[in-house]
Amino acid sequence: MLKKTILWGTIAAAAAISPAYAQDKGVKIVLNEEADVLEPCMATRSNIGRIILQNVNETLTYLDIKGGTGLQPKLAEGWEQQADGSWRFKLRQGVKFSDGTGFDAKDVKHSFDRAMDEKITCETPRYFGGMTVEANVVDDYTIDFKADPVQPILPLLLSLVTIVPEETPVEFIREPVGTGPYKLTEWTPGQQIVLTARDDYWGDKPAVSSATYMFRGDPAVRAAMVQTGEADIAPSIAALDATNPATDFSYLDSETVYSRIDTSIKPLDDVRVRKALNMAVDREAFLGTLVPEGALLATAVYPPPTLGWNPDVKVWPFDPEGAKKLLEEAKADGVAVDTPITLIARTDNFPNVTEIMEAIQQQLQDVGFKVELKFFEVAEFEKQYSKPYPEGRGPTLVTAMHDNSKGDPSFSMFFKYASEGRQSAISDPKVDDLIARASAATGDERANLWKELQAYLHDDVVADVLLFHMVGFSRVAERLDWKPTMATNSMLPLSDIAFK
Amino acid sequence: MSSFVRKRAFASLISLLLLLVAVFFLSRLTGDPAALYLPVEASEEMRQQFREVHGLNDPILVQFGNYIWDLLHLDMGESIRKARPALDVVVEAFAWTLQLALITMALVTGAAIVIGSLAAFRAGGFFDRVSSLVSLIGASAPDFWVAIVGIVVFSVGLGWLPTSGTGTVWHWVLPVAILFIRPFGLIVQVVRGSMITALSSAYVKTARAKGVKSRPIIFVHALRNAMLPVITVIGDQAAALLNGAVIIETIFGFPGVGKLMIDSILQRDFNVVLAAILVTALAIFLMNLLIDLAYALLDPRIRY
Repeated sequence: MLKKTILWGTIAAAAAISPAYAQDKGVKIVLNEEADVLEPCMATRSNIGRIILQNVNETLTYLDIKGGTGLQPKLAEGWEQQADGSWRFKLRQGVKFSDGTGFDAKDVKHSFDRAMDEKITCETPRYFGGMTVEANVVDDYTIDFKADPVQPILPLLLSLVTIVPEETPVEFIREPVGTGPYKLTEWTPGQQIVLTARDDYWGDKPAVSSATYMFRGDPAVRAAMVQTGEADIAPSIAALDATNPATDFSYLDSETVYSRIDTSIKPLDDVRVRKALNMAVDREAFLGTLVPEGALLATAVYPPPTLGWNPDVKVWPFDPEGAKKLLEEAKADGVAVDTPITLIARTDNFPNVTEIMEAIQQQLQDVGFKVELKFFEVAEFEKQYSKPYPEGRGPTLVTAMHDNSKGDPSFSMFFKYASEGRQSAISDPKVDDLIARASAATGDERANLWKELQAYLHDDVVADVLLFHMVGFSRVAERLDWKPTMATNSMLPLSDIAFK
Repeated sequence: MSSFVRKRAFASLISLLLLLVAVFFLSRLTGDPAALYLPVEASEEMRQQFREVHGLNDPILVQFGNYIWDLLHLDMGESIRKARPALDVVVEAFAWTLQLALITMALVTGAAIVIGSLAAFRAGGFFDRVSSLVSLIGASAPDFWVAIVGIVVFSVGLGWLPTSGTGTVWHWVLPVAILFIRPFGLIVQVVRGSMITALSSAYVKTARAKGVKSRPIIFVHALRNAMLPVITVIGDQAAALLNGAVIIETIFGFPGVGKLMIDSILQRDFNVVLAAILVTALAIFLMNLLIDLAYALLDPRIRY
């Protein structure tokens, strides 16, 4: 009996203490998906990055999406391009890893080589496709990155490479060590992950002393947890639950929904047909109905704050009569415009995907297209979405959601539009040339080439039916001074959080 | 008795092996893990490397041979996603599921037997009607809806219970209560039906004629005889819980084996799928064995 009393007493005490602790400088964050590993080289994957990126593991450079100031120094104090096209980085001194070892150029080289190593399958090599990059230590605090072909955005690419100590083995680790303001102090798989602020961090001491991450698959539960005080931040809740203006914020996330047109198959090889598809869709009608208010109508597969955004590209007008006329013209020229077109989408890809796709199907049929709608699970969908495309397929429109929060179109353009791109459904020499030139250019020239490409793809090639730049919703406890941004989907730096 | 257990173990081993073969080959039919694990922009070389690292390039029969060889050494391979031994991942999750199933089934069995027996004693009476109505609603209510309503009422509205998660005793209340509802509704009905038959039997009439009181008649004379079909249903329901309660696990963030299994199937984490199926199948085999032994215990006429 006594034992029982003590047990219940302890439980009651624990229950009483934990909310009091939450009033403290600790925050609790509830995410939709658990991190399966806490491997720094996988930090570009959102379920991992939201926990460790810039909290535990830092990078040489840092893309400031929140403040809009562009690429900022982090573990590198500065960088410049050398005469031979390679990049020289000057590293910050006096930085220590959470295991107490010092940070220098050898750690950077090991981090890069490890992330690119064939023995482990990191996310990092995806950003370095089509080039070879070599890291050379010059002295303790200087390192050169030599890329072939020369990479004008190498400093930006290095904002995706997390730095680990030289001693880190070349295999997936579960206890990341980094230079960041926090260290991992607890991980109970399936339950929670705790990060605690370090006393020996090189930079400013953040306001948040510790962060507990919890994982719930159901958006309504995540919203309820912030409401009841069990959590402070739910970065992603359903639009339906975002009803309290004091705690719920919408933000433009970096996702773009679009339908890719398979231009290699009749009748979609005819540009008039592709224009008619675009003019048949009443995009405005979706806003505030099936798509949350605040979403933007898309004119590119990446969102507006990306480099080289072209404000002159205008959304296709909703013009069913014009679409019908274009189809008649094409028909008169012998184009088989009544060939059934398959509209493909992925189950649960984004909220209301079923209803949105049905509405688009209806709108396309209203101007005279024959459209069949098909949904696939993720694995089957991949076969439609990425090359090699299925043999003997008919004309298809593949609807997908693409994420680019990295500030440069190069993360989208090659694989979406180049002839060799894994998810490209066009083959246009001018597009290939513009992508190659823009990828190699810097400064204004780069921005202008991307602008030109955006307009060409949208107005002349008509490669897609671009739909929406999506918004997400977060719920944040009133005691916190923090608002979600476009970067929230990929990282959640605890240093950005302040208390009111 | 021990020869019965041996025979059953042998038969189960054969079904376990068949299951293993079926799952091994069927799961590999779902496609290539590289396609899901790697980003879409990944080059063919990256994919090739990934398959090489995870032994997915070997002919499928070689892969199967390797798997069985490792299994004989009690090695169920690594989880591709979690970079940990698959068995560790599964055992961790299964421990939660087992606790959830045991607690729920213990409560369900106790409550259903008492209420079902009382309902049967005055079949057609007020108590019987109320319990039938309640159990019918329980057996047919969709649990995801009940779960969300439970959270809205008891956590958000009244603030009595935590919304989800694990940690204290209070975290168990809502998930157990919601898992309780459906098997409870079902088992009450089975207990009631079985008890009505038992209560109208000759030995109960004899007991009544001898002046035995109602309570011993219900709980001693009739119940023991009425328990056989009830135990069968309890076994079925418990097996369903041991496979994991996916919806409850998802909503309450309960780290059980059901959600793990679904996630691993969707992510093509084959080793985890196989380990999860082996562990749950073993548990269900053990439970069925216990049920068979319980038959013999309850009814001395049954001998193995």
